[in-house]
Amino acid sequence: MFKKILIANRGEIAVRVERACREMGIPTVAVYSEVDRHALHVRYADEAVLIGPPPASESYLVIDKIIDVAKKSGAEAIHPGYGFLAENPRFADRCEKEKIKLIGPSAYAMRTMGSKTVARKTVQAAGVPVVPGTMEPISTEEEVLRIAKEIGFPVMLKATAGGGGKGMRLVKEEGELHSSLRMAKSEAKSAFSDDSVYIEKYIEQPRHVEIQILGDQHGSYVHLCERECSIQRRHQKVIEESPSVIVTPEMRAAMGKVAIEAARAVRYEGAGTCEFLVDGKRDFYFLEMNTRLQVEHPVTEMVTGIDIVKEQICVAAGEKLSIRQEDVRQTGHAIECRVYAEDPDRNFFPCPGLITSLRTPGGPGVRDDSGVFERFEIPIFYDPIISKLVAWGKNRTEAIARMRRALNEYVVTGVKTTIPFHIRVMNNRHFIEGDFDTNFIDKVFFKEEGERILEHGDVAMITAAIQVFLEERKHAMAQKPLEAAGPVSMWKYSTRPGMRKPG
Amino acid sequence: MNYIGTIGEKEVKVAVRETGVARYSVTIDGREHLVDAHHVQSSVWSVLYGDASFEVDVQGKKDEEFEVLIAGDCYKFTLMNEQRKALMRSGGKGAAGKAMVASPMPGKVVKLLVSVGEEVKADQGVIVVEAMKMENELKAAVTGTVKEIFVKEGEVVESGAKLLLVE
Repeated sequence: MFKKILIANRGEIAVRVERACREMGIPTVAVYSEVDRHALHVRYADEAVLIGPPPASESYLVIDKIIDVAKKSGAEAIHPGYGFLAENPRFADRCEKEKIKLIGPSAYAMRTMGSKTVARKTVQAAGVPVVPGTMEPISTEEEVLRIAKEIGFPVMLKATAGGGGKGMRLVKEEGELHSSLRMAKSEAKSAFSDDSVYIEKYIEQPRHVEIQILGDQHGSYVHLCERECSIQRRHQKVIEESPSVIVTPEMRAAMGKVAIEAARAVRYEGAGTCEFLVDGKRDFYFLEMNTRLQVEHPVTEMVTGIDIVKEQICVAAGEKLSIRQEDVRQTGHAIECRVYAEDPDRNFFPCPGLITSLRTPGGPGVRDDSGVFERFEIPIFYDPIISKLVAWGKNRTEAIARMRRALNEYVVTGVKTTIPFHIRVMNNRHFIEGDFDTNFIDKVFFKEEGERILEHGDVAMITAAIQVFLEERKHAMAQKPLEAAGPVSMWKYSTRPGMRKPG
Repeated sequence: MNYIGTIGEKEVKVAVRETGVARYSVTIDGREHLVDAHHVQSSVWSVLYGDASFEVDVQGKKDEEFEVLIAGDCYKFTLMNEQRKALMRSGGKGAAGKAMVASPMPGKVVKLLVSVGEEVKADQGVIVVEAMKMENELKAAVTGTVKEIFVKEGEVVESGAKLLLVE
């Protein structure tokens, strides 16, 4: 086993990996930028090294700096978390060259799956169904238009190197193409330093279902069943759950088999995820494979009891998988809500800033993977994720009830968060019935929310009025001349303990 | 004290009276509510209304918009002193057809889509601001001419910063 692991990440995911290392008795090395000196991942690690200025391009994304810290600290392995360098094959190459084990798949697997066009070809060759679209990045606007007309609007523009909804745009009609293409390219350029995009037919009313897989260096694979991630806004997942209400045991077995075949095709090692779109007829299409630990991995951990991060570390150290397929069972139901520093009542605008107070939820079946604490200032430079709240229940109904209860316990002040949004989703009839697709939030939910009558307007106004009343009174008192408050009695001073003269 | 509360277009009369330690009588449009209210944590109040217990997160201050969160719902309104409200009524309204485009969050100006003197339509994208790796296209609220631009591409801006003026 490794004697020391460097975590090339920040925030909640760095803390998550540090927790696994702590439990395994492996010392950790954190890296941090100038704004992250106070961050939890620095405080939680055994060692921490400054790697540069706040922008990720000058710190968390600089391969040379991270390799340098690994060598100097004697770390034998690097866990990249998700985002930053997690799916960067150049980083994987460099680790290999420096004889530092990257906890994740090979550069070859990353390259194949990382270029979505190559990934499509690879899995299609293995007989896996894919969504109609181009196989190659498209360069000119004329070509984009021609292909879009060929496969028919609506179409999706996607960054070839993309992920996490960045560089991705839905184009409903020809008129929107120009501005969408410019934005997709510009976002792709700044997020991945690669502005190439490809085009795909947009499947209407799709559900997003993905399969978690694990592979070791000895050619063994297991799948840890599915997660459904159809609750998205701006094509970004915000709520995930396992099991999916639409997946039957037969479908699960078929999807699991296909996911393992895809992984085997690139001799995949470690934890990975095959994403699928499922249409109204429950036919599924391969979307992409994520060659990293996923944000939403905790829901799988909650229903299978398997610690995915520990498995990642063990297989990276050359051990065989500790589980066989027949050992994998989904028990109960788990839901995850991603809590972001964003204002749900202002179109989810990012809302970085100081967390002035914090109360985290607890009680049965609740897990909070957080990267913050009270008085932490959320920087503007990175993803605005605060924590991932996960609730487990014996069935979906109990999981929803627990999540609703936990969200109501969660208090974050100073910054706006998506907690209120999640409460509203947990109360939504369609969500409760499992009746939704990936357009649910944008198309159905907000419309229904707009028509909902709010119950406690009186209490809201009463409380605000009391606050104003007390502030005004305090203000009025402060403006009174000093004598009005009366002079302080010297006699009182002299009788205070510790102030009395001896003898 | 007497206040005027404004919810959307609707106005209500609000009166607050202290009746004991952390006890208040609040009358809204003639209906009296008796509550026990404690400011417990940062912006959060614990309110007992009858036997019902509420956690109330109050953001905002007098004369500006309040955003109050209760059980995941957001209530927006303003509260103003009665006298001040009367003063405001007698005063004039601001110039029509002017609209400032301001940054709704701290971030970086990625691209200016218009230049000074250019004609723009309401709802037309005028500037792209990036925050936390997402690009957001901000739109003009009114149809008019770009009168002034206060920022440059690449500039880092605070929340609420003036970006450009359309008139």
